[in-house]
Amino acid sequence: MDTSNPAAFVNAELLHFYVGRRVRALTQVVRSDGGIVIGKSTDEKQLVVKGSPPPAPLTTFVEVFGIVNNDKSITPDIWTNFGDAVDMVSYNKLCQLAHGEYKHLFL
Amino acid sequence: MFSASQFDSATAFSGGGFMSSQPSQLNDSSPAPSKSRDSQGLIPVTVKQISEASQSGDEKSNFVIDGVDLNNVTLVGMVYEKVERNTDVNFILDDGTGRIKCRRWVNETFDTKEMEQVMNGMYVRVYGHLKSFQGVRQLVAFSVRPVTNFDEIPFHFIDCIHNHLRSKLKVEGITSGNPSSISSLNTAVKSEPNGSQAPSSNPGYAQYSVDGLKDCDKLVIDYLQQHSDMSDERGIHVNELSRELKLPLDKIMLSLKTLGDDGLVYSTIDDYHYKQA
Repeated sequence: MDTSNPAAFVNAELLHFYVGRRVRALTQVVRSDGGIVIGKSTDEKQLVVKGSPPPAPLTTFVEVFGIVNNDKSITPDIWTNFGDAVDMVSYNKLCQLAHGEYKHLFL
Repeated sequence: MFSASQFDSATAFSGGGFMSSQPSQLNDSSPAPSKSRDSQGLIPVTVKQISEASQSGDEKSNFVIDGVDLNNVTLVGMVYEKVERNTDVNFILDDGTGRIKCRRWVNETFDTKEMEQVMNGMYVRVYGHLKSFQGVRQLVAFSVRPVTNFDEIPFHFIDCIHNHLRSKLKVEGITSGNPSSISSLNTAVKSEPNGSQAPSSNPGYAQYSVDGLKDCDKLVIDYLQQHSDMSDERGIHVNELSRELKLPLDKIMLSLKTLGDDGLVYSTIDDYHYKQA
């Protein structure tokens, strides 16, 4: 059993708390070209993912696991297609709860 | 009852060498009397919570989280390092809070078919039983299902938080014996200008029963106590209770019935006026 490398649930607002650390974020893909994917975070702000997605086409919503860079972009290692209809509001609320009072259940 | 049947299905599905040394242990382990009312069948957890669970009992591997004995758990995470063997399938489940080894015994075609659907890198929902094997906590899974609706992922973690809160409230209610500790957790509490007890404005918390007296009942009896006028034989009208405590009338009537059965209140001139006994 290994809890040494957890990923924190983040939206754009929480990114700065986790610079250099592993996070997971749900994003609505706005644009994807040349090794950068621009998306909308669950709290309606811009999210930049600096990496190329896997060969399979991206759905509208994608969850990304990765490390937060100094410029608040994410360098991804795992991409998961979440489909074309997913509730961003619940995920956003989860980010707030998991960062706040209930952090000890996650990190 | 529910958890007992879960135990049986767990042993039926698992079989094999891993479980066979401990079946009597499973049947013998009985929840402590104070927890038997609250023993839950299936608890949503994160791997982090499992790593921090304490173990109760002698050498029995009874895990305890938030004061609740763990029978079966459910997790949502990604599958890694899937290894298929003749009698079982092993994999690592990574739910973002940690990684845990899982084992799914495959005895029948149903089991094999189920595990064939599961691939590395895929999100799955796992139901299983926690075991400690040579000091390492592992999960014996009896159901592994690929996630198809991805709302299930935030749902599961919110479910973990919700369950954690519920168990915490139950423990606090039993140990402190003071239901007002529950109303202090409510986010918005309105305080009356004449200094009477601030009513709970979050009816959601009124459902958790503490020491047999529901939160709602306590509010009603406290209100009656504070507003009782010995010279006024009529008592308090139920509409006033509903309005002042911000609770629906049917809840008030239910509370009054419970309190009346316990001999704590009585109706006066009609069924809508009550006084504290």
